Amino acid sequence: MTQMDGYAGKIAYVDLTKGTIDIQETPTDLKRDYLGGRGFGTKIISDRMDPLVDPLSPENIFVFASGPTTGTGIPLGSRYEVSTKSPLNDTLMSANSGGTFGWKMKKAGFDAIVFEGRSAKPVYLYLNEGAAELRDASSYWGMDVHATTDAFLSDLGDKKAKIACIGPAGEKQSLLACVINDYDRAAGRSGAGAVLGSKNVKAVVATGNLSIEEADKDRLNAVKDRIRTKLQENGICEALTNYGTAVLVNIVNENYILPTHNFQSAHFENAENISGERMAETVLKKNSGCFACIVKCSRICEVDGVVNEGPEYEPMWAFGANLGIDDLNTVIKAAWECNKLGLDAIGTPTAIACAMEMQEKGYINNGPKFGEAAGIVELVRQIGLREGFGAELTDGSYRFAERHGHPELSMSVKKQDLPAYDPRGLQGHGLSYATSNRGGDHVYGYMISPEVLGAPEKLDPYTSDGKAAWVQVFQDLTAAIDASGMCLFSSFALDATDYADLTAATMGIDLDGPGFIRIGERIWNLQKLFNIKVGYTKADDTLPKRLLTEPLREGGPKGRVWEREPLLSEYYSVRGWDADGVPTDEKLRELGLK
Amino acid sequence: MQVTVKAFATLRNIMDSKFTEELEEGSTISDLLTTLMEKYSGLSDEIFEDGRRELKDFVNILVNGRNISFLNGLDTTLNNGDLVVLFPPAGGG
Repeated sequence: MTQMDGYAGKIAYVDLTKGTIDIQETPTDLKRDYLGGRGFGTKIISDRMDPLVDPLSPENIFVFASGPTTGTGIPLGSRYEVSTKSPLNDTLMSANSGGTFGWKMKKAGFDAIVFEGRSAKPVYLYLNEGAAELRDASSYWGMDVHATTDAFLSDLGDKKAKIACIGPAGEKQSLLACVINDYDRAAGRSGAGAVLGSKNVKAVVATGNLSIEEADKDRLNAVKDRIRTKLQENGICEALTNYGTAVLVNIVNENYILPTHNFQSAHFENAENISGERMAETVLKKNSGCFACIVKCSRICEVDGVVNEGPEYEPMWAFGANLGIDDLNTVIKAAWECNKLGLDAIGTPTAIACAMEMQEKGYINNGPKFGEAAGIVELVRQIGLREGFGAELTDGSYRFAERHGHPELSMSVKKQDLPAYDPRGLQGHGLSYATSNRGGDHVYGYMISPEVLGAPEKLDPYTSDGKAAWVQVFQDLTAAIDASGMCLFSSFALDATDYADLTAATMGIDLDGPGFIRIGERIWNLQKLFNIKVGYTKADDTLPKRLLTEPLREGGPKGRVWEREPLLSEYYSVRGWDADGVPTDEKLRELGLK
Repeated sequence: MQVTVKAFATLRNIMDSKFTEELEEGSTISDLLTTLMEKYSGLSDEIFEDGRRELKDFVNILVNGRNISFLNGLDTTLNNGDLVVLFPPAGGG
């Protein structure tokens, strides 16, 4: 029976060891308390799995989940999440991706897929209008992401099918491996691709055209009109249409917070050469968007006769400024190579940056050098295939730097590398890094929005006052957005009430803005409880030593480091956690977690 | 005195990306913008709210890497050799 609440109505529980699939109705309380996406993944894994399992063992659980707004036609409602215990850092991670796969998973009849166990041979999961089937994937094993996607579309004779898959990096269980859908859309971080690789799952293929019905169409249409207008009138969303995310290269550089040479400085002299403006002048062919998107921030570029989607700001920075490379074509080709191999396009180049500093300091003698573009694309290939010097880096910067006696040169939090903003000039964003439930990360609490861009209001990036409360709201709101199926970029224009109204009209429930954020808080605390059981403590809620002790040397933030206290203590307090960062019984009862 | 001005994103459709500007001693950001608006038609629409001398949401102006919102706003005094950076609404993730 068709659901009238935005959901497809079914979850497929796949036992890869036995080769069986159990299809169950999506539980009502799961929908109400966790929405979908990151919420579904976090709750399902917390309920079904011992946090201490080896992440690359059959006992780990891997969840694909869309949200109630995914694929409903709500502008920017396109997202899905993958969740699992990260093999990179043991956290309960979720990674988000757009494109069309999340929509198609629901058209194929499923809100979520839960993989358990390990297949004896390579398989893929085929979803088609309420049916789910494990099929042999031996002929696809070894193919890169693009070839895999082409081969499925061709072999199935179904051009409307959508594919999420791993590349060779996932097969090799690189801890930088990700999951990619629609050729170039990555659920990029925390090594999720290695978990699918360990389970011998090459892909999920979704097809079909089941209807997705919302509960209160009249109300929803009115809300859609309202948010469409807000998105269209928002200056940041308009800029995303015009320049894509890479417009940030110059903005962040001029604020003197663009990490350069593995965070040794925060200003790159040649940033202009790898900027969104330069991309628009030279290699850009057109822009593109996910399902139902009216912003269309993605870039379609052509380099040396090859046309692909991307790259985004993060890999532009990570292969550019952070490696001291200003050759735009190399930066783009290296980012594309990550997508083809199924590699995290942040963690891969940041591992290279770490190796470059180790080389510069003489701690290794066979590594790459800052500023040398030649050989970077080949090094990415080696990382993806666990070959040559690339094999040294394929499990990320932390393990590499530790193995060579200098873990302090890994610019990571909880073994996951930091993205493209130097927190010494961003006190709130630094707190977000230190406390993110999946380690070094910018999309679990994007404080750049108020501290650099001025949305929803301008906050002084150099001060700590009030930032703990801001970080909590950003983290919780983001968790709820990730659960709802909406794109995080919508938050430049929308507020919690908008999301609550969209969700309530879609699902046919009562929900207000604070209630929406409360769902995110529940998810956040549940992730945190998992991580505590894994062994994470207050001591891990910090940043690399360099960012605490080596002041920036130029520009506005000259002389600044990231000040951990009193920010961290204030953060624990506003979260209702004890002084060691553990959620109190009272907080857990309040959230329905105890 | 002389300041260097850099403009980014869509502002480059109406003005040069980098140039120097001669100003009287003691000039402010507001004075600089007045000078620039006389030279570059369309700049006012890009950075100011309609009919008001108030920066649009998400417009950011930096002096030597510091946002003027946390200096003295449009009244921030400029000094010889300063770098002034103009950003229209822009962002990403």
